[in-house]
Amino acid sequence: MTTPDPIPSMLHDVGRVTRRAFLGSVGSGVGIGLGSIALASLAGSRAGAANSALQANPLAPKSPHFRPRAKAIISIHLAGAPSQHELFENKPLLTKHHGQPCPDEFLKGEQFAFIKGHPTLLRCLYPFARHGRSGLEMSSLLPNIASMADELCLLRAMKTDQFNHAPAQLLLWTGEARFGHPSMGSWLLYGLGSEASDLPGFVTLVSGDKTPDAGKSVWGSGFLPSVYQGVQCRSSGEPVLYVEDPKGIDRARRRAMLDAVNDLNRLEAERSGDPETLTRIAQYELAFRMQMSVPDAADISRETPETLALYGAEPGKGSFANNCLLARRLVERGVRFVQLFDWGWDGHGTSKTDDLLTQLPTKCGEMDKPVAALIADLKRRGLLDETLVIWGGEFGRTPVAEFRDGKTDFLGRDHHPHAFTMFLAGGGAKRGFSYGETDDLGYFGTKDVMTVQDLQATVLALMGMDNERLTYPHAGLDQRLTGVAKPARVHDAILA
Amino acid sequence: MAAACVAAFAAPARADDASAPDFNRDIRPILAGKCLRCHGGVRELAGVHLGDRDRALGVSEKGRHPIVPGDPDASELLRRVSLVGKGRMPPEGDALSDAEIERLRAWIASGAAFEPLWSFVPPVDAAPTVRDESWIRSPLDRFTLATMEAAGVRPSPEADKSTLLRRASLDLIGLPPTVEELDRFLADESPQAFEREVDRLLASPRFGERWARVWLDLARYADTQGYEKDARRTIWAFRDWLILALDADMPYDQFVTRLLAGDLVPNATNDDRIASAFHRNTLTNAEGGTDDEEFRMAAVFDRVSVTWQAFLGTTFQCVQCHAHPYDPFAHREYYEFLAFFNQSADRDQPDESPTLELHPPGWRARLVDAADALRARGFDEPAFLAWLEANKAKLPPPKMPNWVIDLLHKPETWSDPVNRAALMLGSRRDDPIAARELNVLSPTTVPVMQELPVADRRTTHVLERGSLKKPGDAVEPKTPAVMNPWPADAPPNRLGLAQWMTARENPLFGRVAVNRLWETLFGRGIVETSEDFGSQGSPPTDQALLDHLAVRYAALEWSTKRLLREIVVSSTYRQSSVTTPEALARDPQNRLLARAPRFRLEAEAVRDSALSVAGLLSDRKFGPSVMPLQPEGVWQIVYSNDSWKTSAGEDQYRRSIYTFLRRSSPHPAMVAFDAPSRETCTVRRIRSNSPLAALVTFNDPALLEAARALARRAMDGTSDEASVASALLRRALLRDPQPAETARLVALFRSERERLASDAASVVPLAGAEDSALAAWTVVASVVLSLDEFLSRS
Repeated sequence: MTTPDPIPSMLHDVGRVTRRAFLGSVGSGVGIGLGSIALASLAGSRAGAANSALQANPLAPKSPHFRPRAKAIISIHLAGAPSQHELFENKPLLTKHHGQPCPDEFLKGEQFAFIKGHPTLLRCLYPFARHGRSGLEMSSLLPNIASMADELCLLRAMKTDQFNHAPAQLLLWTGEARFGHPSMGSWLLYGLGSEASDLPGFVTLVSGDKTPDAGKSVWGSGFLPSVYQGVQCRSSGEPVLYVEDPKGIDRARRRAMLDAVNDLNRLEAERSGDPETLTRIAQYELAFRMQMSVPDAADISRETPETLALYGAEPGKGSFANNCLLARRLVERGVRFVQLFDWGWDGHGTSKTDDLLTQLPTKCGEMDKPVAALIADLKRRGLLDETLVIWGGEFGRTPVAEFRDGKTDFLGRDHHPHAFTMFLAGGGAKRGFSYGETDDLGYFGTKDVMTVQDLQATVLALMGMDNERLTYPHAGLDQRLTGVAKPARVHDAILA
Repeated sequence: MAAACVAAFAAPARADDASAPDFNRDIRPILAGKCLRCHGGVRELAGVHLGDRDRALGVSEKGRHPIVPGDPDASELLRRVSLVGKGRMPPEGDALSDAEIERLRAWIASGAAFEPLWSFVPPVDAAPTVRDESWIRSPLDRFTLATMEAAGVRPSPEADKSTLLRRASLDLIGLPPTVEELDRFLADESPQAFEREVDRLLASPRFGERWARVWLDLARYADTQGYEKDARRTIWAFRDWLILALDADMPYDQFVTRLLAGDLVPNATNDDRIASAFHRNTLTNAEGGTDDEEFRMAAVFDRVSVTWQAFLGTTFQCVQCHAHPYDPFAHREYYEFLAFFNQSADRDQPDESPTLELHPPGWRARLVDAADALRARGFDEPAFLAWLEANKAKLPPPKMPNWVIDLLHKPETWSDPVNRAALMLGSRRDDPIAARELNVLSPTTVPVMQELPVADRRTTHVLERGSLKKPGDAVEPKTPAVMNPWPADAPPNRLGLAQWMTARENPLFGRVAVNRLWETLFGRGIVETSEDFGSQGSPPTDQALLDHLAVRYAALEWSTKRLLREIVVSSTYRQSSVTTPEALARDPQNRLLARAPRFRLEAEAVRDSALSVAGLLSDRKFGPSVMPLQPEGVWQIVYSNDSWKTSAGEDQYRRSIYTFLRRSSPHPAMVAFDAPSRETCTVRRIRSNSPLAALVTFNDPALLEAARALARRAMDGTSDEASVASALLRRALLRDPQPAETARLVALFRSERERLASDAASVVPLAGAEDSALAAWTVVASVVLSLDEFLSRS
């Protein structure tokens, strides 16, 4: 009799919650309004307690390996890959030799996605200027981001080993160019748990009307349990799939239904003795709370006109700007990882829709202001120190022009894995800092080259995680985000 | 004198104590857990490799001897693990415990024998003795009972009949029984009543659909190609082949032979060739600018990996880049094995070539009949033929199926009555009957494996670190040395590989197969890591039981249905799943199998069960994949305007195995219940219990529709509230409800009905009609379909 008996006490606890909630909904008699909200919070606290009493809550917050600098991440992925030569990489020599054949030494063993024959150099198409006290160089396409230059940590010598979109996106977010591996957000949820008691801990926001090339695997949980996968929050229709009660079921009715479900489930738990039934009761309660909290978090119309204007957000519309604002609202509510994807950056120059002279300025116009607003907004709310913003594409673009099939009506660049620019802001990364250098054409990294695996290791380090210790056994190996093949390097030089 | 005494006393005591450590039980876990990561197949730091005896007894780069058999004190391994501070091994993480060090010492002292891992030694069936012979129903009961008796545990009592029938039905055909089936079983008092039900289920036309699900996960089957474009792929004939083969209980060795080499079996039929599509479910990358050879090789790598995972429970893909870090496979052996798969004609083409064209059965006669009917409706055949003849050099682009257009361009085929019938029907797309007939009689295609002509055979090279840019030695097809020998006279191709795979001597083939059956029925395999029977996987909880089943499977001539029958009629299977806190505390993982497991249904069974108890489920089998309800806007695909179009009529209510699966965007309700996206082989689905699944049970319109249909059935012929509530529970849960449960639902019905009186706008959305009683019962039925018990098998 000395061993405490965990099961009956858990039963008791959860049972009490649902009984109270049930009585409350009958007794309050105010229908959907105050009563159900009060009940939801009552159920919330108790069910939360019951939940943490269950050993098997896979999302319970866990301690990091060491003191973290950041608690949350907002990643902004410009799918298709924007051109660094038009945004961050000012290369006077490239401009000087514009139109000349690319020197042979760069092309030895080179394989392009589309370019055939000997390509010619393409100058930087937009004027550059230095910004802020840090003097970071940016082009005229990014006036708003440039105004936040002193918050940015530019990574100018990023490197990947994939030059097709889907594999490169997978490599960047899952550490592996093939399908089946967990994404960074899944790893973080697995390692750190979730701080959001009634929201998913890992949320994905997609704009540009398309999911990324690699599909939903870039926020998938791969071989980790599916409870760690990213939840797509949508800007039109239901914010999260299946979150809205169907027609004919309002909150009060849902509460009444859930109370009956809980009562019958409790009887079943007593009969079967299966603790999993108690977990289900807790998860049902969480889902019930999410039905309120998700639409609440997703409702950007609650923001002030000033904030909406800052982002250029318009409630009710699906847009990148809305997603940036939504990202801040989610992080504010304890979401661990918010992953934004915006489609439409694949600037090959084959038509009007991917031309560097027309399409790129349009896309930058949509992207520049909200990203700057997000950084500024996080900063004024005191969230930037503990929120890491990651900005970039899956690779870069060639210093040479593409001119597919010999057509020169539009300007574009092919996929370029060897060197590209990403940036970090906040979250313990250095501010107003430029890291990494490339050669005179911006073709290869020459100093402080950061592979995507190094970036992953460094991001994990900012979150207080050692990439060698954040492991999960699968396929006979202790798998890591950064892959098992070779060690990744944390770039201490960019840590503030 | 005193010292000698102590030594003389100590030596036998030590040998006695340690009783010669067992390598696999005592030593392998230490080496695998603490040493092999740096001193194994991948990294031989300091020239030390502790993965096999020859090398472990060698000399390190510094001239030291890691292991000297019989002489622990001369063994560097023992010295280094015993150090404190600098030089200690392992350098990071926890040191070895004193007990572990003593075990290593005893092992080296006794000669440092290495033994092969258990899974590489062929299984032996050795029945243990048990005290309670009366409990034995199937041979396997002897094994589980012996384990329970050794642990001092009694089996659970037999589950009640209702639970047992629902369990067996969900396990064997993926659907609950009907109320009528339950009543018949309850009324059958013969001692063979359950066996009869099991036989009925094994013979059910629903059996193959349930078990094909398992194989579709292994085959990474989907209706799209994957990668960026993720365009549609027509390969459902493979899914149908699986269902047919499983329904027909094709012996497992023949089944696997066809999956691996159906195209190469002597006198291969179309069915055999369809089976070879197993390995054509690899991804195809149609993204612009991709290197076809790179993605062809990605598919070949995947075939190697899936072959080992699905049939041998071994992770082989790491050997692509280097020797296996923990298991006895050399880098070169990977490429020798890959050579079997490197001769197929496919090469990452968007058209999936080579493909096989398949007409439905009896299509020729029906086509000719349809042409006759067309003539009878006044079709002027001579005029049509004259027109064909006159225009054959400059035929306009016709709107006909591709296979008929092909005929159009081959005038020499026109005299054949079947071909002529096809042309006639094709020329009259305005005639609805002709159009329909031609449509249903047209062939589907299926990508198949096909060997290259001898002259075009590829040379397979070892690839350094798996890189296509670093080809090394050329190799010939060969299987790894640690496995069973290559069968005499087997051809050096995939067919020979299948012979080697299915040979009785293969230590893994049978074990992996029976473990999968066990996992499907019991929720957890005897080897829990069903994807890894190697040294990094979990060891079997009961190896004797596993080995018995493996040997038994072969003895039953690989009849899956006969083996399943032995398992399902066993006393082990029939136990109750009801557990107590004491039992849970003693054996939380149910390793002793002293109770039946209770676990949530898989995604397909959740939906299929709801449709089934609601009476909505279509029993239409086979054919192209269908599109049941899916929320708007789920499909947003780069460079594609393809869209989800909800199927009409009964196709909305087909079993979930027929649901269209787009890899980049699988059905979200399925995903919430852990269904995979099928981009890779899934050996084992990990069950989760998440709020997202809860949201699906709350709000999926398909489930609300099922609730409404269920409510309507329960209300049939009665208006008594308690009777309706009871019928709801009984139809959904297939057991007699308790009064407290019925009363709770009646209370909900009454309060909802009352609220609906002042909330008339909700009636039609709930009931689909102005029927407030139905609306309130629909609410109640939705509650029942959300119950943990409904979602679980117990």
